[in-house]
Amino acid sequence: MFYRRAGIRHTRYQDERQLFPLGFDRGLIIAVIAILLAAPFLFDRLYVSGYLLPWLIWTSAALGLNLLMGWSGQIHLGYGAVMGIGAYGSVHLVRLGVPLEIAMIAGGLLSATIGTMFGGAALRMKGIYLAMATLAMQYVVDFVISHSSVISGGSLATLQVPPVRFLGIPLQGDLPTYYLAFGVCFVITLFMLNVRRTSFGRALAALREKDYAAQILGISTFRYKLLAFWVSSFIGGVVGSLLAVTYLRAISPDQFHIELSIQILAMIIVGGLGSVLGPFFGTALILFAPILLNNLLGFTAGTFGWSLPIDLRAHLPLMAYGALVIGFLLYEPLGLAKIYANFRNYLLVWPFRHAQR
Amino acid sequence: MTALGKIGEGAHWPVAANGEPATLIAALARNAAEFGDRVAFRERRYGIWQEQNWREVFAEIAAMAAGLEQAGLVAGAAMTVIGDNRPRLYYAMLAANMLRAFPSPVFPDVPLEELIVATRHGAPPVGIAEDQEQVDKLLQLRDATGRVATILYDDERGLDTYDLPGLMSLDALVAKGRERLAREPNLLRRFVDEPQADDISVLLHSSGTTGLPKGIPLRHRNVTGGLLNARASGYFRQHEELYAYLPTAWVGDFVFTLGAGMMMAATINIPERQETVMRDLREVSPTFYLAAPRAWDQMLTRVQVGMKNSTPFKRWLFETTMERAVAYERKRLAGGSLTLTEKLLDAVGNVLVYAPLRDHLGLGRAERAFTGGEALGEDTFLFFRALGIKLKQFYGQTETCALTAAQTEGQVKLHTVGKPMEGSQIRIDDSGEILVRSTSVVDGYYDDPESSAKALVDGWLHTGDAGRIDEDGQLVVLGRVSEVVRTASGERYIPNFIENRLKFSPYIRNVAVIGAGRDQLTAIVCIDFDAVGHWAEERGISYTSYAELSQRPEVQALIGQVVRHVNGTQPDGLRIRRFSNLHKDFDADDGEITRTRKLRRNTIETTYASLIEALYSGATETVFDATIAYENGERGVIRRTLKISEVVA
Repeated sequence: MFYRRAGIRHTRYQDERQLFPLGFDRGLIIAVIAILLAAPFLFDRLYVSGYLLPWLIWTSAALGLNLLMGWSGQIHLGYGAVMGIGAYGSVHLVRLGVPLEIAMIAGGLLSATIGTMFGGAALRMKGIYLAMATLAMQYVVDFVISHSSVISGGSLATLQVPPVRFLGIPLQGDLPTYYLAFGVCFVITLFMLNVRRTSFGRALAALREKDYAAQILGISTFRYKLLAFWVSSFIGGVVGSLLAVTYLRAISPDQFHIELSIQILAMIIVGGLGSVLGPFFGTALILFAPILLNNLLGFTAGTFGWSLPIDLRAHLPLMAYGALVIGFLLYEPLGLAKIYANFRNYLLVWPFRHAQR
Repeated sequence: MTALGKIGEGAHWPVAANGEPATLIAALARNAAEFGDRVAFRERRYGIWQEQNWREVFAEIAAMAAGLEQAGLVAGAAMTVIGDNRPRLYYAMLAANMLRAFPSPVFPDVPLEELIVATRHGAPPVGIAEDQEQVDKLLQLRDATGRVATILYDDERGLDTYDLPGLMSLDALVAKGRERLAREPNLLRRFVDEPQADDISVLLHSSGTTGLPKGIPLRHRNVTGGLLNARASGYFRQHEELYAYLPTAWVGDFVFTLGAGMMMAATINIPERQETVMRDLREVSPTFYLAAPRAWDQMLTRVQVGMKNSTPFKRWLFETTMERAVAYERKRLAGGSLTLTEKLLDAVGNVLVYAPLRDHLGLGRAERAFTGGEALGEDTFLFFRALGIKLKQFYGQTETCALTAAQTEGQVKLHTVGKPMEGSQIRIDDSGEILVRSTSVVDGYYDDPESSAKALVDGWLHTGDAGRIDEDGQLVVLGRVSEVVRTASGERYIPNFIENRLKFSPYIRNVAVIGAGRDQLTAIVCIDFDAVGHWAEERGISYTSYAELSQRPEVQALIGQVVRHVNGTQPDGLRIRRFSNLHKDFDADDGEITRTRKLRRNTIETTYASLIEALYSGATETVFDATIAYENGERGVIRRTLKISEVVA
């Protein structure tokens, strides 16, 4: 309905591959970016640092995992551990006086190195077995962090993040932290959008469809499987350090447990495997649906005067949330991104039912 | 490149008294000098749009002219051009003009006999063919008549094994031409300065509804003058986006695409293939769009079929919105203005329905959309106007560069074709025939003083159309003077008028109304295969072919309804009483219609004589032996049983 396609013509083949050929899409994206940039001045502090900030961070992490799971089809159940490695690595470096910019990259590299080592398992294993191997990584990393006080930060097992500066700006208060998270998320999104159009992205896609078929096509599965783990773990490490610096401020081992891994996994499944837009939707749903459901329940209970047992009230949102995830797996395995794409297609061919010839 | 520099600096070209370029070549030189970096031609090739700016186009045309001169094209000679719309075919036409020769485009689908007729004027020494298919045709022509000693082709696919004298690719010709231009620095000046306004710029042919097609030479001053008049009347703007998809042998393509492209320094967009015309139209989104009534009808049918397949909600929305939009458009055309609520509803309709549909059709930017050549159905006309496409009728003949009269926005009336354009005069003579005098009217037919004297008297062109001028000075066209016939009871009627009414139905593609000298009217109907096929599918009526579908009793009944509907608007003596669905559509290859889809009554009356007798004999069906012409020229006979239906009043 709002999309206009007339008059779009390309004079070069590379123009045909542009990311957003339709004017309406471009306008929409610019509007969303503008709102996000202006958000600290438009919305209440609570919404910015309590909703938008975690949304951006978790989305970045989900994008990183989506590269591995959605693009190259390798299952990973230990992404929380990967983030933990990055977080601990960079926080320790920062505490040693290394600038945050370098510490973040170093955290990413550390995650990438360890992540790729475990990813090596993928060279020999597939599907459920790879899931077990990565799950093992989660527990090994958890164990190592919590049992070596050098890493976890002594008897209290919390590691304070010292005051840091990014590009000379002290990361204090809501504004700088929000914009740093926005910047990281923006860069990762841009990378993910473009990776599809590169030979690397296409090799990953080939790998996802069938690894030995990809091998027959001349794609080194050895190289690209490890590369997929490397890139994805690097993003995970960077986002882990971002999480520690901008959101948590003090890290402890339990923040990077299996729950985080499963949460991020749920985000990309609900959002849409192999989609860039999906993690944005998925993160929003997974992070905020429990809160919303809880509020809704509290509101209805208050309005209709129900007296719910306190434990039921605590568990009902969780049950609804579980039902939501199962529902997605059953009825729209391609996630929220697919629902959006369907809606977009509906408007694209409006008022017809399908594309005209 | 050195030669180009000269045009850039020295920048002068022959101009007319009003300061505008005197010839199309002068206009080309002006564009190269003044708008050198603007895109002149944009052709979709291998999926992307390849652009050439005016400077490049000018250089290529000049090189082509230099090569063509060596190939034997001399001033005053014709040059046969055959093929679909391709930039280099257009370039070749202008290159011929540089040499004071003139192109004579031929419809790309003509068989040999028609090609021989179409090339009989001007002794063409050179022929330009689009591809192998057309080269083969020109080779046949050469074997049969010796015409076109040199054959040049654009697309070399399949031609590298041809080793024949006088066969060369345009690539090679242009390369040779470039060398020659570099050698002879004065050549370019000559190419620009020598063509005169009185030179013939193109030789077109009348459609030949009766007898042999006549050669109609359009001179530079006709084309340039006519186009400037049209621009003065607001039918063109500078730098239009044009869409070149009409057959090159039709006056509409030469004048409205190539001519207008030169005079308005427009961008000419060329689709990849005939099959991709509608798709590419959306990518081009032209600002000026001309289509024959048939094409508008097809576009409407496409929208309607698409909506029929849509969801009930959207169908309901489309139907209610369009019904309202058409009513509003009627109100606006009648001079009324909408109330506030109506304006609001119209705006909502624009967002929900009109604008998306305009975008789907690729006519979102078509500020100037025209139809001409034949009458366009009121429903179709109103539909597109209601969509917000400012569709207008124009009226013209090949003899007037198709620029005689056109509707203007704000004065559009349903039954008129608008006022005469600036600089053209229209008069109705005593017999009711429309006479035209204008700069765009030709001096006479090519090599045919007898017809010229008959058609042109004191500078007034006798168009052969019957018409009248209404109270606002707008022209109403009634039909061909020669087609006015009488039934046995003396009722005067124009078959074409009734046929157009019938053809406004999406189910009827072609129809011939018969009844001259008879006691009642009958009709031979050719159903529209797509529309009736879709209709049949929806109702679960099975069919295998056009012939079978046309003879289904349900289809007979459907056509019967259409005929009855049209009968309702006709006086009693002019109602169609019996009709028969033909087993095939009328085809230009069988001579039943011309290439521009006009009926050839004589042919139909002789070919279908037995069917016509049956229509008047009271029989309910007849056996008809159909002669068919195969592609290789052989003829065969197929026996068909055709049903005849009565139309109850």
